[in-house]
Amino acid sequence: MKIPVIMDCDPGHDDAIALILAYSSKKLDIKAITTTAGNQTVEKTTINALKIMTFLGAEVPVAMGCTKPLFRDLIIAPEVHGETGLDGPVLPEPAYEKSELHAVELMAETIRLSTDKITIIPTGALTNVALFLTTYPELKSNIEQISLMGGSCWGGNWTAAAEFNILVDPEAARIVFESGIPIIMSGLDVTHKALITDEDRERFRNTGTKAGVLVAELLDFFARFHDDNFNFGGSPLHDPCAVAWLLKPELFTGRKCHADIETKGKLTTGATVVDFYDVLKNEKNITLLYDIDRTGFVDLLAEHLEKLP
Amino acid sequence: MMNDGKGRPVIIDCDPGIDDALAIFMALASDELNVVGITAVAGNVPVEYTAMNALQLVELAGCEVEVSQGAADPFYTKRETAESVHGKNGIGDISLPPAKGSLSRIKPHEMIWSNACKYKGQLEIIATGPLTNLAEALLIYPALKEKISRIWIMGGAAGSGNRTPAAEFNIFADAHAASIVYAGGIPITMCGLDVTNKALIYEEDINKLAGFKSEVAKKSALMLKWYLRFYRSFGFNGVAMHDPFTVAVAIDRTLVKTKHLFVDVETDGEFTLGKTVVDTLGVSGRKPNTDVAMELDNPRFVELFEKLMNAYE
Repeated sequence: MKIPVIMDCDPGHDDAIALILAYSSKKLDIKAITTTAGNQTVEKTTINALKIMTFLGAEVPVAMGCTKPLFRDLIIAPEVHGETGLDGPVLPEPAYEKSELHAVELMAETIRLSTDKITIIPTGALTNVALFLTTYPELKSNIEQISLMGGSCWGGNWTAAAEFNILVDPEAARIVFESGIPIIMSGLDVTHKALITDEDRERFRNTGTKAGVLVAELLDFFARFHDDNFNFGGSPLHDPCAVAWLLKPELFTGRKCHADIETKGKLTTGATVVDFYDVLKNEKNITLLYDIDRTGFVDLLAEHLEKLP
Repeated sequence: MMNDGKGRPVIIDCDPGIDDALAIFMALASDELNVVGITAVAGNVPVEYTAMNALQLVELAGCEVEVSQGAADPFYTKRETAESVHGKNGIGDISLPPAKGSLSRIKPHEMIWSNACKYKGQLEIIATGPLTNLAEALLIYPALKEKISRIWIMGGAAGSGNRTPAAEFNIFADAHAASIVYAGGIPITMCGLDVTNKALIYEEDINKLAGFKSEVAKKSALMLKWYLRFYRSFGFNGVAMHDPFTVAVAIDRTLVKTKHLFVDVETDGEFTLGKTVVDTLGVSGRKPNTDVAMELDNPRFVELFEKLMNAYE
């Protein structure tokens, strides 16, 4: 049986690749896509999600989410993702309209209609998921788990302490992390090891599929930011980790931990404070992923791209 | 005939609550207001009670108004209730006839949105509890900003609080939701403690009410007697009619003198969590967003209250 999932995302280059990976997998059934503001404004990330689905020939419902974080002003990342949020490749115009429902309403409807518990895969700020949980607390028990990209145990990428997705809406993150729903956290600890080299990128381009070429073109743009700013020796594929864990968990190394979200720090707002050594002996609310079989991850991506048109 | 479709369309967002109960009775009896829905929120007591109380109150008044059960918990903080003020069941532990109807199947945000669309920008909200439901509605439907003509809020204070020295109960109970609503861009009239602590009725008024013919008036008098005990323990010689006064102002805005000021809600302070920070002198440089009620005409309020309660048969 396929795992029913809702993708809550802000495409975004790596979100787009996460969508493509999830769609191409026989293990996952994308029931709905909900969009969030972060990498770009929510109007732009919504159009991008529709374009990616149109490119794939899919018609998964896409619902637009919150225009800004719960209590804070919006931060966006055009320096990473460009003015459209998905600069680089040429994509088809959307072949269908976004849903008339708000993201949290589509989440509620999808979860109500599903006979099986739903897995949510958030790869952006957690605004929609938090608002969903506060508005529909009675549906919480129908969520199987949340496999998210966000946070880090050892250092941030937008401030020294905070990873971008959590920093955009720390209060939302706190609501989600305190919800009691099992969380699998693909933070920077693992995503910075999920590196795609120039060689891997050419391998995707040479799969001979349209999707392989698209992913390579997304990475052409994405790599520029990382090559200019960091010395990783590749581009970290953050968001696809949250999908890959569901497809092949044996690629990852993780540990159950307690994690809190700092919302009031002078230097640390948006940090996921992970109790890696269990000094507090608090309840374990996350599975922290912190290592990955990089070659296996690249193979997984390539194999899925080969199956697509 | 109560609430027969005459008057301006309003949704009452409330947590009955003794004074909420009286506020609902007043609104239903007034020809100025057409109560098109009630959304219940947790506050004075848990939401299972406030929603059922609202339904039973509406039925006791002989009306048919849809009641939607809303948020059980504040948006971001821990639950805060006030059983010592309102009794375990929220209405002074008096009993009402069991409800014949049932609660609405839709959520408050849906009820607010559909009515806002139906009444094309004319809908008003009277909010007499924590603002959780309204905050959720505004986050889910940002376009509500253009579709609600005014929110009448019982909440906050330019001066001192009643739940903490700085904060009034409704705002304290969900400061984060309040901050979203005050910043939401919809015109607000704020009836805070600055006026509602002076909107008093006394024992003789309550006794008079007990002598009215209707069951509504008799039950109201019982609730008010419970409430009076609480107020006397605080050194008040009457009952502060927070929520009924707010409905009264929505019926007749000449009951108060207001000032147009900028109001923000503290969500982080060590001593000031839930304080409505009212920029009385305009020092913040921020654009005013609220008509803050500063002075009231209490005798005229009591007169209106009695007139509406006497309308029940």
